[in-house]
Amino acid sequence: MNPALQAWGYYARWTARWPGVAALVPFIPVVAIWWLVASLEVFPRAFFPGPAEVVRGFVDLTYKGILPAYLEDSVGRLLLGAGFGMAIGIPLGILVGLSQTAYRATWPIILFFQAIGDIAWLPILLIWFGFGLTTMTFVIVYTVVFPVVFNTVLGVRSVPRDLPRAALSLGAPRWRVLTEVILPGALPNIVTGLRNGLGYGWRALIAAEIIVGTSGIGFLMFDARRAGSATEIVLGMIVLGLLWYAVDAWILAPIERATGQRWGLVTRT
Amino acid sequence: MKSLEIRNLQKTYFDPYAGTKVTAVQDVSLDIREGEFVSVVGPSGCGKTTILNMVAGFLPATGGEIRVGGRPVKGPGADRGVVFQSFALFPWKTVLDNVGFGPKMRGVPKAERDRIAREYLALAGLSHAADRYPNELSGGMQQRVGVVRALANDPDVLLMDEPFASVDAQTRMTLQEELTRIWQEKQHTVLFITHDVGEAVFLADRVVVLSKGRVMRDIPVTLPRPRVWDEVTEDEDFKRLSAEVLHMVRAA
Ligand SMILES: Nc1ncnc2c1ncn2[C@@H]1O[C@H](COP(=O)(O)OP(=O)(O)OP(=O)(O)O)[C@@H](O)[C@H]1O
Ligand SMILES: [Mg+2]
Repeated sequence: MNPALQAWGYYARWTARWPGVAALVPFIPVVAIWWLVASLEVFPRAFFPGPAEVVRGFVDLTYKGILPAYLEDSVGRLLLGAGFGMAIGIPLGILVGLSQTAYRATWPIILFFQAIGDIAWLPILLIWFGFGLTTMTFVIVYTVVFPVVFNTVLGVRSVPRDLPRAALSLGAPRWRVLTEVILPGALPNIVTGLRNGLGYGWRALIAAEIIVGTSGIGFLMFDARRAGSATEIVLGMIVLGLLWYAVDAWILAPIERATGQRWGLVTRT
Repeated sequence: MKSLEIRNLQKTYFDPYAGTKVTAVQDVSLDIREGEFVSVVGPSGCGKTTILNMVAGFLPATGGEIRVGGRPVKGPGADRGVVFQSFALFPWKTVLDNVGFGPKMRGVPKAERDRIAREYLALAGLSHAADRYPNELSGGMQQRVGVVRALANDPDVLLMDEPFASVDAQTRMTLQEELTRIWQEKQHTVLFITHDVGEAVFLADRVVVLSKGRVMRDIPVTLPRPRVWDEVTEDEDFKRLSAEVLHMVRAA
């Protein structure tokens, strides 16, 4: 048999068993080019570290325990912020989606505050709360809330009118209509909102850590700049990308699929 | 089972954008006895859906009165089961859980409501689909589930708004035959809305012809039961009645 075909067969079987492998393959040429540019020394080594240095930096920082600790701090802050963001965003979105009065009363305010943007709050937050967790949590909550609210409103409004009617004529009291029909009907959109919100939140967190931080991945990168270590900065950037990829591809996307596609609420892609 | 009385029912819609009023139902009175099957036919826009939505309690009436078993209707309730043209099955619930939804709202324990749901699914030949999700079923099967879900909640009155309008002709005939069979067994009071004249006559004890928000004619149907299409199609009375009703609907 053709050896190329045989190799392809191996590849297909491997990626079928470990789908994560397939996700890494597109990075091979990227890393190769990076390695090539670095080893040709187009730029001075100190400004443009190669893959080998970054891997060494990774092993070094992991061994010292700095990287795991900072990662834990960043992820913990993200989860805390996202938790509050959902706790505010989902009920608010449901209320606005269901009630015309609530919509008219709150929508201009929601749009006004959305326009201010998360990072624009930092100066005043630093005066109010100082350099600490409160400030960072506020920024993340602020980023997560808007996509969650918008998508929840969309989800609530997209529940076909006959579904709550059917529930009511089967004897459901109003609050059961909420839990049995409105919430599950809006769930795929809520998950989409959360997925977007966490994506924005993650970026906002790094920005906040760079300005506010005393720990975390953002702080690691900013601190490395002070020490002039390009390796650690690049390492931080790579960790950001990898971590988000893992969270999105292995946690959020499957949840989104499990809700929407199973029920035929969104079309399979 | 209970009777359904509709007295001088009236509905005027207000269009806030155009600032105009549309009277969809002028003055409709209609009595349906316990266990009686009544079809309502009429041209598009004559107010059929509006009447059903008021009886179901989804829309407030702007005049008149609706009573079920002598008690005035205030909002939706489990005494009036509704079968929707859009099926309105809960996509995130299995067929079994859709059918068991009414009993669940009444607080029937899980094991018991599953038993009820399976019994009704068997009645419509759907036992094999109990664990599937609605989007995995054909349109005909979905509407069978819609009918069975309403029946399993044991309503006093069954309200159906063009339930078979969106399934193919063959399936529609099968569903109509199944409905007459189940109705003969359970003897529900039924208000059935359609614009298909043959369907109206085939199913009903009485056909009510509606025109511009008023009752134009009320015609008894005395065809023998059980009714199956193979026999009814040939029946002279059926042909005569259908032609008569069709004529009235077209003149309406
Ligand atoms: N929400 C609404 N606002 C304003 N006018 C309405 C509304 N719903 C229905 N109408 C009007 O009321 C009249 C009756 O509508 P209805 O839906 O009851 O008719 P129908 O007999 O069910 O028609 P079809 O056979 O097409 O379903 C129509 O003229 C329609 O345009
Ligand atoms: Mg209609």
